[in-house]
Amino acid sequence: MTEQTVNLKPSRPWSAQVLGALLLRTTARLGLAWIAVLVLVAAFAPFLANSHPLLLVVDGETRFPAFAHLQAADYTWLAGLVLAVVAWRLRGPVFLRFAGWFAAVAVVGGLAWMTVSPPSLVIYEQYRELEAAGRVDSIVRAPIPYSAKDYLRDYGDTGIEAPLAGRDGRTHWFGTEDSGADVAARMIEATRIALGIGFIATGIALVIGTIIGGLMGYFAGVVDIIGMRLVEIFEAIPTLFLLLTFVAFFGRSIWMMMIIIGITSWSGYARYVRAEFLRLREQDFVQAAIASGLPLQSILFRHMLPNGVAPLLVAASFGVASAILAETTLSFLGLGLVDDPSWGQLLNQAVQSSTFNWWLAVFPGGAIFLTVFAYNLVGEALRDAVDPHTQRRGKRA
Amino acid sequence: MLNYLLRRALLMVPTLLGITLVVFVVMASAPGGLTAQSLVDGNNIEPEARKALEDYYNKLYGLDQPAPVQYLRWLNNISPIGFEREADGTLGDFSFTKGPDLGLSFRYGRPVTDLLAERLPITLLLNLLSIPLIYAVSIAIGVQAARTRGGRFDVASNIVLLGLWSVPTMLAGVLAIGFLASEQYWRWFPTGGLVRREAVDQTFLPWLASVSDVLLMLCIVALATALLVWAVARAPARLRHIGGALLGAALGYAMAADLAGWVPVLLHVVLGLAGAALLGALAGIPGTALRIAIAGGLGLVLGVVVARAAGVQVLQAGYLFDRAWHLVLPVIALSYGGLAFLAKLTRASLLENLAADYARTARAKGVDEETVLWRHVFRNSLLPLITVSATLLPSLLAGSVIIESLFSIDGMGKLAIEAVQTRDRELVLSVTLISGLLTLAGYLLADIAYAIADPRVSYD
Repeated sequence: MTEQTVNLKPSRPWSAQVLGALLLRTTARLGLAWIAVLVLVAAFAPFLANSHPLLLVVDGETRFPAFAHLQAADYTWLAGLVLAVVAWRLRGPVFLRFAGWFAAVAVVGGLAWMTVSPPSLVIYEQYRELEAAGRVDSIVRAPIPYSAKDYLRDYGDTGIEAPLAGRDGRTHWFGTEDSGADVAARMIEATRIALGIGFIATGIALVIGTIIGGLMGYFAGVVDIIGMRLVEIFEAIPTLFLLLTFVAFFGRSIWMMMIIIGITSWSGYARYVRAEFLRLREQDFVQAAIASGLPLQSILFRHMLPNGVAPLLVAASFGVASAILAETTLSFLGLGLVDDPSWGQLLNQAVQSSTFNWWLAVFPGGAIFLTVFAYNLVGEALRDAVDPHTQRRGKRA
Repeated sequence: MLNYLLRRALLMVPTLLGITLVVFVVMASAPGGLTAQSLVDGNNIEPEARKALEDYYNKLYGLDQPAPVQYLRWLNNISPIGFEREADGTLGDFSFTKGPDLGLSFRYGRPVTDLLAERLPITLLLNLLSIPLIYAVSIAIGVQAARTRGGRFDVASNIVLLGLWSVPTMLAGVLAIGFLASEQYWRWFPTGGLVRREAVDQTFLPWLASVSDVLLMLCIVALATALLVWAVARAPARLRHIGGALLGAALGYAMAADLAGWVPVLLHVVLGLAGAALLGALAGIPGTALRIAIAGGLGLVLGVVVARAAGVQVLQAGYLFDRAWHLVLPVIALSYGGLAFLAKLTRASLLENLAADYARTARAKGVDEETVLWRHVFRNSLLPLITVSATLLPSLLAGSVIIESLFSIDGMGKLAIEAVQTRDRELVLSVTLISGLLTLAGYLLADIAYAIADPRVSYD
């Protein structure tokens, strides 16, 4: 027997292959770039738009009001960003890194909720009054010197103002909304809601859909029939209508909205997972896993799921887009969050009053459009990237 | 086939029960739930009257009973056979002829059936206008994109369609109302509603001042349309581009002039350039049929505008025109999303079939490309479009919720929002039931159409 030297190159992990194929596409890069911008804006929101100055020297005393007023959520977002960079740099399976990141963010968030206690009484106008009184020696403000909930009460009866039409030396690049708050500041704050809703609602839908779809596909038979009826029921109810009912009858907190959007949009994922699992359950490696007596969750989630995850990724990318749309639609119909800013709620104000305020339609609407567009671009590119058919064709061309 | 239809119809029943059950559970498990108190709350009335009203509601809707009993009572009411309902709220004898009863709306105090009979046709009108539009346009674009695969039109239309698909319905609606209908900008379209009050009393068709005016109008419209159609069909590409750009610039300038007068300012330049770019690009579309369709539509509108400017007197716009005029913006806002999605699907489906073996065989036999496309490939590519038609109806129903509340059209979508906002139990359940029924009927129709289009599919 002759000795053969086989040059075995360890193949790159599948996730790396998909990512590489994804990044080859210009459209995907543009979409990811916009999402990255949004993430940065969301993480650094308090330093981009804040009525509290970053640095303030009053009567010779130096203060950092913006930092003193950081909320627990602000710390969580910043920590999330830093940890994401760390997780990106680490080695190891993608799933493990993601789980580690998630756990770390949860721990930091919990710690932040317990330890951080910014002043509960927030007086936005104190700095402007100090400045007017001439007591400020030097001041460094955020690029947009207004907070999302700073309704500029000290300027008297403020309301809707067109961009750059502010009186009293105020500059509002994107104008102001109904109750006088700066639109740009509210949009920056709302970035968090859009991103958070998109990811968490899709995550919830993915978990429900994967479990139900996986059980349906694995057990087939009666479980499948009952499960499919459930899927059919949830598909035949207009999602928007179910959402409206949920929101109208339950409260309007952000967590509630995430959960609601999550549990109304799982049916598509269940279908995908079911189809994949029906295909996989007959294959040898699954039969081998069953024969060696592995526990059910190991068969389902360790052996079958990683092989059936491809169409799920594509659907999830489009799902994030539709979750964002669902939130903006609810806010637009006046069933969204009450005081917290959201793009849909700003858009709603564009035609609420008797006049048409174009800046409330163009800027928040543009942000919604670009974000949804970005996710759709990524989803489209991802579909091509995980599809071996188009991949091969792409290489040949 | 009959057997199959019967089976499907029977299978609908558990699904419909499930749908209403989900919505009922959501309502019943909400904090506070549904009680007579919550209905009476807010009315500033004396305690005795309040008590009497609560009793009345309890008796009528069984609101003081446990949730499962309430749901069973509701089921009994809506089913065509069941127990009679006595005047004092108790159940009477079992009857086969009692007929379905959707109950009274809490908020309107009217039978839900009446409300739905008023509102449902309006929503259906919007949807039934949208569906043919969606299919016609998306097939035209999809075929053209697949034909010139990898070409400029294909790439451009792909991006534009994905962009259109990403535009939220409410953004499109708000922009359309704001810029094209509101008082501040172009007032070309009505801001809302379905018909003007005056138009109800007018003649059906437009009424012009004299016969000569009618002739003049017809001549100008025919001339404008014929000219444009001839130009896009016959002129060489370069000429078309220049002509389109010139026409676009002129129209953009006129649009700006409508708003800011004829003296050019920045707006005129911007709109002129935008118009030139748009029409110049449209004039360069490779498919002649698509170009002719666009040019024909533009010619009709231009002809009417020119005729009005030339002195044709329109005494009454007429009911038909008024209705159509009110429907333009809502129907466009309702259909562009589905249109984008379907056009992409058409393209993908056609491309798959164009590369199939049977298409190659046909080409090898010497069949020309047109025949391959329309007789062989197109018919096979229709199947995914039919499948998708089933999901089109639910998305249109959801879209009409937004569109109707935005354009203040009194359809079922607006009714749905009012119902959930006022926690009107009977109305919420009935709207759920009806939209669920429509959706399931859509699925069934799609399956039947599938069997008709593809002889290999049989349900027997």
